[in-house]
Amino acid sequence: MADITTLLQVLIWGLTAGCIYILMAVGLNMIFGVMKVVNFAHGEVMMIGAFASYWLWSLTNHNPYIVMFLSMLLVGGFGIIIERFGFRKVMGTGKLNEIFLSLGLIYILQSAAVKLWTDDVRKIESPYGSMTLDMGMLNITYDRLIAIAFTALILISLHLFLTKTDLGRALRATSQNHEAAMLMGVDVNRIYMLSFGIGAALAASAGTVNAILSPFTPYMGTIPGIMAFVVIIIGGLGSIPGAIVGGLLLGLVQNFTIFYFGGAWKEAVAFIMLIIVLIFKPTGLFGEGRH
Amino acid sequence: MVNNAKMLIIAVIISTVIVAGCAGPSEEVQSENANPGNIKIGLVAPLSGGASDVGGDMKQAAILAVEEINAAGGVYVDEYQKKLPLELVEGDTKTSPAEGVTAVERLITRENVAVLVGGFSSGVTYADEVPAAGKVAYVITGASSSSVTRRTDIDTSCFYHYCSTTDDYSQPIIQFFVEELKPLVAPERDLKLALLYRDDPFGQGCYQSCVDYIEAEDLPVEIVAAEKFPAGESDFHTYLTKIADAKPDAVYSIDFVEGTSSMYIQGQRDVGLNTVYMAVECNEDPAFYELLGEWGDGHLLETKFAPYASDYLPMVGEYKEAYIARWGEMPGMMGADTYDGIYLVANAIERAGNLDRLRINDAIKQTDEEERLLLMDGGKITFDEHNEISPKIFVEQMSWDEESGELTPHIVWPEYVKEMDFVLPDNYEMGG
Repeated sequence: MADITTLLQVLIWGLTAGCIYILMAVGLNMIFGVMKVVNFAHGEVMMIGAFASYWLWSLTNHNPYIVMFLSMLLVGGFGIIIERFGFRKVMGTGKLNEIFLSLGLIYILQSAAVKLWTDDVRKIESPYGSMTLDMGMLNITYDRLIAIAFTALILISLHLFLTKTDLGRALRATSQNHEAAMLMGVDVNRIYMLSFGIGAALAASAGTVNAILSPFTPYMGTIPGIMAFVVIIIGGLGSIPGAIVGGLLLGLVQNFTIFYFGGAWKEAVAFIMLIIVLIFKPTGLFGEGRH
Repeated sequence: MVNNAKMLIIAVIISTVIVAGCAGPSEEVQSENANPGNIKIGLVAPLSGGASDVGGDMKQAAILAVEEINAAGGVYVDEYQKKLPLELVEGDTKTSPAEGVTAVERLITRENVAVLVGGFSSGVTYADEVPAAGKVAYVITGASSSSVTRRTDIDTSCFYHYCSTTDDYSQPIIQFFVEELKPLVAPERDLKLALLYRDDPFGQGCYQSCVDYIEAEDLPVEIVAAEKFPAGESDFHTYLTKIADAKPDAVYSIDFVEGTSSMYIQGQRDVGLNTVYMAVECNEDPAFYELLGEWGDGHLLETKFAPYASDYLPMVGEYKEAYIARWGEMPGMMGADTYDGIYLVANAIERAGNLDRLRINDAIKQTDEEERLLLMDGGKITFDEHNEISPKIFVEQMSWDEESGELTPHIVWPEYVKEMDFVLPDNYEMGG
């Protein structure tokens, strides 16, 4: 039987992994909730975010956590371009077209990253790399604490944006019923661009946090991209609270599964969770069955 | 919402099947060339995908060997009464078994290569050697699981292992731990060893050969933790936390550059598992030292090619200089194997006297030549009954130079090649 310190340590690893899943899944749900578009290349947008931060960090030598905000802006803008000149063109022409567009984007973005940055293994050096917070029983690195705090900050900011601003309300209205929103004077196309931009920016933040914690290559986005889909199905398609709870749950369950049953079950347990949720609550934990 | 969820899942399945199905088999063509202007050698390597850093080293080393051989006039082929230049044809496995099969099929049927060299990652090579079985000689220079030459489900008579097998390096690693580490940290008890390994033929081979060797030799080593992880894993925190709970005296890490460097760093920096870490030889690559930085100080690497300590074999120094002059960077170990592999097949083609694939295969089988970049038992390159070579293995310890900001390795074992004594890392905390 493991002692409490060890279990708390596993809890911290699960929380940090969950933070990356949350940032990914909230972004994906922003896009799906508003546009009803499935972007399979979300993991690759995350990878582009990691490389954008790496590139800016290498050029400026500034703190990578500062650089991350600039990277989020850049990748958010990149997301708007993808929406405007990619998904906008195929929306309403059938789900298969959207799926193949996003599958194509996976290869295009990976190949572009290899061309631009090569596929050598990279890492972003954190100025807090060796610093840990001694909490008696536990030592937690500053980078992990920052990852958790940053995720909380992003979620609070997103909540305030969605509930307290006109643009946020317009975005929620479009998510609920885009035709009604249009009749009420909401520029739906603008909202689509905004939601895709926010989703891409959140993926960029997930990529940067990941790149600070672990080495990365242009192929880093594949598994997190798949896991983000698992999270949004578990949490409920289009539900932001669902993405948060689903992300945390997946991070914790995966890490405790590794601890008790071994790493061979890490990915399997994600799909076991998904199947269980689909059987007992097919709309996901927070899904309302309105889409 | 239910329909959306179902549709999403169906879409994922359909798209996966479509993408996987894009790679179809190539048409069969004649395997011989009536009057060739050159000799095609197929290089099978991960030129893209997760192991592309290693694949890049293999490709650069192969090009260097081909350029050197061609600069000397090429390879004499008796049937044509002249020297023919070598042409390297790349087959990118994309670090994927399915892509590897496609690449090898293309090299054999469409490119009509005389022989194959390369193959990295046992999981990929286990798949990509299937189309070559019984048809064309494949000198495997990067996949170390002995299963790639000892499997019984296909004809392996054309496969040659020109690299260490998992048995070759797990045994010396255990020997090193018993001879060098145990007296320092566990003189009165069994040495407690933890293994963290990839869940693929390579990782499983390393793990199993450790277990078998300890049992067969009745060695004073207890495996206190053995954790496997899915290939491509980058977050090792929970695995290492579980290992730390077992209080090992050493951790044997079995993965490629990206994963192994993460284990060393996450173990010490995040988990506080301050033990001594040992990596396997595929990490003998400049990228490994660069990624590790100061976290590599005092830790270990098993290898059979040591470019930083090139004095042990004159050809290693010459190769290092030539490689740096050509590519502007340090060579890695997988490239060294591949470089040797190209020379080996060039010599075999010359002995075969023509480009018939089966005659080339026979000539490779009968190889008996001087060692080049790898130290061999008896100083000669020969293949045994399993078509495997007998390389000599050594252990390097890395040291971090604060002033230059560089991590460099030094051979610490065995006695006949060692540059310095093994010492415990500064931050080492006793296990047990």
